[in-house]
Amino acid sequence: MTRDTSTRISIGSLRNWLSAVLSDWDRTQMTLCYLLVFILALSPLFIKSTYYLGIIILTVIYAFIGISWNIVAGFTGQLLIAHIIFLATGSYTTIVLYNTYGITPWVGLLASGVVAGLLGVVVAFITLRYGLKMDYFALFTIALMVAMRTLFLKWDFVGGAVGMWFRLIDISFSNMIFKTKIPYLYIALGLLLIGLIVQYSLYRSKIGNYLLAIREDDDAASALGVNTSFYKMMSVVIGAALAGVGGGFYIMYVTFVEPPQVFNLALNVEIVMAGPIIGGLGSLAGPLLGALLNKPFIEIVRGVLAGGRSGATLIVYGLFLISTVLFMPQGITGVMYRLYLKVINRFNGKAEEVS
Amino acid sequence: MSPEIFFQIFVNGLFTGGIYALTAVGLTLIYGVMIIVNFAHGEFLMLGIYIAFWGFTLFGIDPYLVIPIAFLLMFAFGALIQRGLVQRVLDAHPLNQIVLLVGVSTLLVGVVQFFFSAEPKAMHVSYETAVITLWGLRLSIARLVAFFASLLISLLLYLFLKFTRTGKAIRAVSQSRDAARLMGINVNFIYALTFGIGTAITAVAGVLLAPNHRLIPTMGQAYSVIAFVVVVLGTMGNFIGAFLGGLIIGVVEAYAGFYLGGDVKIIASMLIFILILLFRPAGLFGRKNT
Amino acid sequence: MALLEVKDITKRFGGLIAVSDFSLSVDEGEILGLIGPNGAGKTTAFNVVSGFYRPDAGEVFFGGNRITNLRPDQICKLGLTRTFQIVKPFPQLSVHRNVMVGAYNRTNNRAEAAKKASDIIDFLGMREVSSVTASSLSVAYRKRLEIAKALATDPKIILLDEAMAGLRPKETDELIELVRQIRERKIALLLVEHVMRVIMSLADRIVVIHHGEKIAEGEPHQIVQDKAVIDAYLGEVEINVAG
Repeated sequence: MTRDTSTRISIGSLRNWLSAVLSDWDRTQMTLCYLLVFILALSPLFIKSTYYLGIIILTVIYAFIGISWNIVAGFTGQLLIAHIIFLATGSYTTIVLYNTYGITPWVGLLASGVVAGLLGVVVAFITLRYGLKMDYFALFTIALMVAMRTLFLKWDFVGGAVGMWFRLIDISFSNMIFKTKIPYLYIALGLLLIGLIVQYSLYRSKIGNYLLAIREDDDAASALGVNTSFYKMMSVVIGAALAGVGGGFYIMYVTFVEPPQVFNLALNVEIVMAGPIIGGLGSLAGPLLGALLNKPFIEIVRGVLAGGRSGATLIVYGLFLISTVLFMPQGITGVMYRLYLKVINRFNGKAEEVS
Repeated sequence: MSPEIFFQIFVNGLFTGGIYALTAVGLTLIYGVMIIVNFAHGEFLMLGIYIAFWGFTLFGIDPYLVIPIAFLLMFAFGALIQRGLVQRVLDAHPLNQIVLLVGVSTLLVGVVQFFFSAEPKAMHVSYETAVITLWGLRLSIARLVAFFASLLISLLLYLFLKFTRTGKAIRAVSQSRDAARLMGINVNFIYALTFGIGTAITAVAGVLLAPNHRLIPTMGQAYSVIAFVVVVLGTMGNFIGAFLGGLIIGVVEAYAGFYLGGDVKIIASMLIFILILLFRPAGLFGRKNT
Repeated sequence: MALLEVKDITKRFGGLIAVSDFSLSVDEGEILGLIGPNGAGKTTAFNVVSGFYRPDAGEVFFGGNRITNLRPDQICKLGLTRTFQIVKPFPQLSVHRNVMVGAYNRTNNRAEAAKKASDIIDFLGMREVSSVTASSLSVAYRKRLEIAKALATDPKIILLDEAMAGLRPKETDELIELVRQIRERKIALLLVEHVMRVIMSLADRIVVIHHGEKIAEGEPHQIVQDKAVIDAYLGEVEINVAG
């Protein structure tokens, strides 16, 4: 008797939970994301190859970086194209602190966030103070990237043109150097989780509401009491800081950095832009879904057409971006949303029939 | 610095500036008419130089003879891109426009890299090292020809815009799309035409570069950036501004290259760019006009 | 002192003088109508008062404070909110989220803002479309949304820019009633309108603007008889009053 009711209760509460989640598209997206993170966390159980594990790790960190760009470009609609400068700044911060000052990368990640965030303040300040709109802002960020690349090429403190190799002294936790790739996966997943939570809280908060309003209509937002300059700057700084932290992890994982590698538009397309755009810019699940579709696929392309034909991945990205803009401007998440609506309508219809 | 060196650098800068000018004129034309910043612009220049390379290595055609072919080919290509792709995002959010063009740019680099490999290439024409000496200055024939070709093409384009009926139609659309439409101008046709012309002359600039330039699929990006700088300096949409701006940047870069070293000279353009954006974003010529 | 004092503002665009030595005042709880032919400078005046334009001369005072060169959002925080002639919804956001943007003006708390937004949405009779995306709304609902957003900011005065334009007679009547209810909440209103029926039934006083200058001011029955007004504007509008 007791078992009967308890099963019924647990099925009932499962149904309640499901309908609570599915009644809200935002909640559905987040649940999906957490589920995916959970699955990814379990991946070492069934994926033993270090090669594939490596792809997963990069996918996860791409998703994290994607979230950072999503906040600036997706939520706030800012044309920050060369977002990679914040990742690069983060990478350099972490590696310089470690190589030159022996500071543990755990602190280095935080420092990367701060330094990248400061760069974000500078970029935002210049943009807003001098009223750089739209295209000018996009061009400004690209020019900044080129300038930084040249600067870093000449700056010995950060290794100049030679770049910096991560000093593999000790395998230790405090150095964030591990024997296998698995710890890296969990650090990356940890960051992703933080990113997802930050993104979602932002989205639901007053700040998020204001950012979306600014994206939709700057003047209308202004007329309703939104200090648009302040919030635009806030979105850039948050996005920059997150990207900086991601950059810190990125360099820990790839262990090498040089200016042409990171101050690079192709890398910008691959890490920063492709994921969120394919996944759906401005959505909650977009960056993660996009990264999952982006990185593994592009690795397959690279692998299949291995050797010499490096243009293949660029062709794929080019086609990806073009077709997404033309045919799927809301990305995969947009497509899923339409499906979701259909399912919900049918479900509601059925529920009404039953009752 | 001796006067000879001073003038030598100046002239070299001018020659480079001619190419910048031609490229920038193409970009500013597209912007002036469609209010779209062609983020794939440098790739059209890159295609031009690769067309010259292809023509030369496969068929033995001299690059200068390739110019008309390149012009027509790239004109058609540009018009097609406009009709098929750009047209669809003309009224969309600028982010979509930029992403589309970044996609086009990435695609073009990828295609060239796929067929020609990422290895740097070079053409070796018989006259590539030929110089003439004038007033104590050594002038590379190829670059001299390139400079005057740029001048000539820009002039022809200018006359076309100013005096022909189609040219006036283009200028009309750049001033007001709706008014032009009301006057019976087929605006979509003008858009395709303008994009085609802008693409074509940029490709020709690439062809002109061929005799002395190293070819690499990603070379377009640097030229894109410089073209942006020039266009902003000369006021976006301003034809003469773009041309003069190109020459100015070329010269400034030449001096920067002399004092700071070749690989850093691009920082001169970057600095100018940032300074303009901060202090005179409307460019040298103030208000937008074609 | 009046709630809103506009003193001798002048606004030029290149060689064109849009508004010249223009003054008006609105008292607390008052409804002031601003009428005039197209291009007379009404929206320009709105833009100056709400902080979207800087005047070349003159001052604007609100609640005793000088607000002349403040930003629009600062002015909104002080209690003056404006709507736009061509409505500006946040297209991809739901109606509720749209209104919440306004509601956050006075609070940082999400629950509070959500409740306020829901209340305003109910007041505007829009409960059934609360979760609809703004871009899918009909014209009538869009106009209401515009007012809802403004109301949610908890203003002391709302500047309504042609809120009734393009509405059918029944919809217009409903909005007129709504505006009356807004007044009952002790919110002053500055109405720009072309639909004379609306102005006549709502306005306590009317200011008439023509070629950027004030040509008449007074109570509605005085205005309709004013010769200058009839010559400049009302002559064409006789038809509207009948219909």
